[in-house]
Amino acid sequence: MLVRRCLRLCSLCTRVVYSSGVRRGGWRTLVGHASVKHANRTDVPHWGRVMFKRFFHSDLGELYKNESVQVYLEQLMEEHRDLSKKLQHAYLSESDRKGLTKKHTELLPLASVFRSIEQAQKDLEEVSSLLKGLAGTKDEDEDLTQLLKEEEAQISSKILALRRDVRTQKTQLINAEVCDGPLFLHEVFSLPQLIKALIPTDPLDSSNVLLEVVSGRTTGGDICQQFTKEMFDMYQGFAFYKNWDFEVLNYTPAEYGGLHHAAARIAGENVYRHLKHEGGTHRVQRIPEVGLSSRMQRIHTGTVTVIILPQPVEFEVHIDPKDLRIDTFRSRGPGGQSVNTTDSAVRVVHLPTGITAECQQTRSQLQNRETAMRMLRARLYQGMMGKETEQRNTARKQQVGTRSQSERIRTYNFSQDRVTDHRTGYTTRDIKEFMRGGEALDDLISDILEHTEKEALLEAAENSSSLKRTESGPSAD
Amino acid sequence: MWRRSLSTSYYRCFGCRSSGPKVLWKSQAVRTCSAPALPAGRITPLQAVKLWKRRFEERGVTEPEQSSQYIIAHLLGAKTIESLEQERLTEFLSREQTEQIWKLCTTRLSRMPVQYVIEEWDFRDLTLKMRPPVFIPRPETEELVELVLNDLQMKTEMGVPAETEPTCLEVGCGSGAISLSLLKSLPQLKGVTLDQSQDAVDLTRENALRLGLEDRLEIHHIDVMKDAETLLSLIRPVTTLVSNPPYLFSEDMASLEPEILSVCFCCVLLPRFEDPAALDGGEDGLKVIKQILTLAPQILSSYGRAYLEVDPRHPPLIRQWVEGNVDGLQFKEARHDITGRPRFCILQKEEVKQGPQAGSGLRN
Repeated sequence: MLVRRCLRLCSLCTRVVYSSGVRRGGWRTLVGHASVKHANRTDVPHWGRVMFKRFFHSDLGELYKNESVQVYLEQLMEEHRDLSKKLQHAYLSESDRKGLTKKHTELLPLASVFRSIEQAQKDLEEVSSLLKGLAGTKDEDEDLTQLLKEEEAQISSKILALRRDVRTQKTQLINAEVCDGPLFLHEVFSLPQLIKALIPTDPLDSSNVLLEVVSGRTTGGDICQQFTKEMFDMYQGFAFYKNWDFEVLNYTPAEYGGLHHAAARIAGENVYRHLKHEGGTHRVQRIPEVGLSSRMQRIHTGTVTVIILPQPVEFEVHIDPKDLRIDTFRSRGPGGQSVNTTDSAVRVVHLPTGITAECQQTRSQLQNRETAMRMLRARLYQGMMGKETEQRNTARKQQVGTRSQSERIRTYNFSQDRVTDHRTGYTTRDIKEFMRGGEALDDLISDILEHTEKEALLEAAENSSSLKRTESGPSAD
Repeated sequence: MWRRSLSTSYYRCFGCRSSGPKVLWKSQAVRTCSAPALPAGRITPLQAVKLWKRRFEERGVTEPEQSSQYIIAHLLGAKTIESLEQERLTEFLSREQTEQIWKLCTTRLSRMPVQYVIEEWDFRDLTLKMRPPVFIPRPETEELVELVLNDLQMKTEMGVPAETEPTCLEVGCGSGAISLSLLKSLPQLKGVTLDQSQDAVDLTRENALRLGLEDRLEIHHIDVMKDAETLLSLIRPVTTLVSNPPYLFSEDMASLEPEILSVCFCCVLLPRFEDPAALDGGEDGLKVIKQILTLAPQILSSYGRAYLEVDPRHPPLIRQWVEGNVDGLQFKEARHDITGRPRFCILQKEEVKQGPQAGSGLRN
């Protein structure tokens, strides 16, 4: 009886998924991933197994329960309280004030979420104790109904408010342990927000990117080139879906209609954050359309390399003109008025590093040169940043997104109609829809981001707590 | 040097290099001479590109692939073949389209520059109409414009008081590339430009109208060599003087690519595409340059600058000559183009140094 009421409570706020464990009676804490879209298909809560498209990952709840994270959270809250006090009372110099205010503002969203969680927690404690008290009484139904109705109103509005702030997060579908679990309903709804506020941000996240696709090699006719074209189209579709600007910088078709390599500049909000894990080798498995293999229906494997470079703000990369060699058609002959040509291709070579960039997209040599310079800047920046990112890598992070180039990160199997990302195990079907670069791709990317951001948070938390330990050690008197 | 003026309807070739040793003496436009037959069935743009690329290669036409791609892309309404979608490129062409492609590509067979064949080309961020015999802008000249713009930009940054009305004079407008580029990038600028060729003046006017810049540009039909006085009477001193004057050495004219000066062995008359007068700078290539620089002190306002595109051999010669021959003009520096050749000269109008006998005040 109690269970059913709580069920209704839950279902009003979110869609609930049950694990098979429910059959055995009682509730079981289970936090799994599934998008709201999938939940639509299992609208009416029912007992029994529900098929997930993805495998279960460790949950946000566990993350929250993690000791390091708790400690980290406490530290940050303390810091925030300190800052608030200082800013209000202490006498500060102009620059100090600026610095502290900045830090304070950074911590503000976290603090507010934390406070709302605390409040929600209190509320829920009240409700649950009331429910407990009413359990087993005869008037149960009436009183409970009334209480629940009130609570429903409160919870709904609160959740709406909290939800509004959670952006493209997946809603957590949970079974909450009302009776004796430490994990309360409201807490869980705010968790995505909390975690989001805790995650250390990559400073490059908001940058625009330079995206390149390069066809690999295969024994299966032109499946690589064909697939390269489809990949490029997919990312173009994705840019459109996300309302980003997609500017083709280089487009080199292959002999028989596919694409050999291409490059584009994608500009918009948080482009790098979304695309940074797309870099790597993508594998395709399909039956080629022409040739012997096609007649024999034999599947071939090919690869496409995707390269994602964050595009820095112009002034960040300083290039000395003396370090550049620029090759054009005109470099070979006498140039000037004596030659007329339509060949306006430009290739720029950075002599100290050997990095090159070329462009022949437009009919104006100057415009091609500017585009090539932009590409060169991005590549140089990547080279510079490469060392830093290497240092940031930890054993944990290597599980997701930092495989070496030769290892494929994702497989697109056309015959079996599925796409699998090997870093997270995420699998999805309807490859045709996926290649449109819309919601399906967005889901996959969100999944990877959740993973990596979780890892980043854990790492930050552990680093910070170990730091505290070393600090408090010697100072303890 | 042949100096026949051309009619506006291209040229006439009294023979042509056809396959084999046969010599043809036909008085007809080249475009029908040895015109390849239209395909029997329908073809796609991609197939047309391949076909014509091969044909151009066979006939020794330079840049066979680019020629074929640019012409066909243009006919499909695009600037480059890459910007067209795959669907478009594999869609069959209509009869009219195919005929058009054949017509234009056949014209290219006569070595007419692609820019004239499709009657347009890009310069920096502009698309300009092209028409023989008006000189086709070269990529180096894009850098000349860049140079001028950077200089002017630096001036405003350094806090040099901005002219209430910055003005610019260009000698030798051609298709209008330089002036129109400057006007487009500097909304405050007003320009005057001139050319000895009526065709050039007409084309510049047309391009100015197409770009909506005609209200800021005065265009004059003046020969700077012959009508210096007329020029000086027409204008007030300007802040910027810019020019890409004919600077080739006469001896180099003969070895130009067929696109510029086509030699047909079985011909009496030479077909030519670009106006040689736009290229030939006399024996030392400095004929027109010297004239411009002689007039510069009277054209420029104080501290005004002159920017010239020249032959790589010229800068030291110009420096020397100006020092000895032009009062009030100082050679500032020579700049390189991106291929590393000294290509641009910058000169500045200074105040005239007072000589020992000079009793009069500063000359302007």
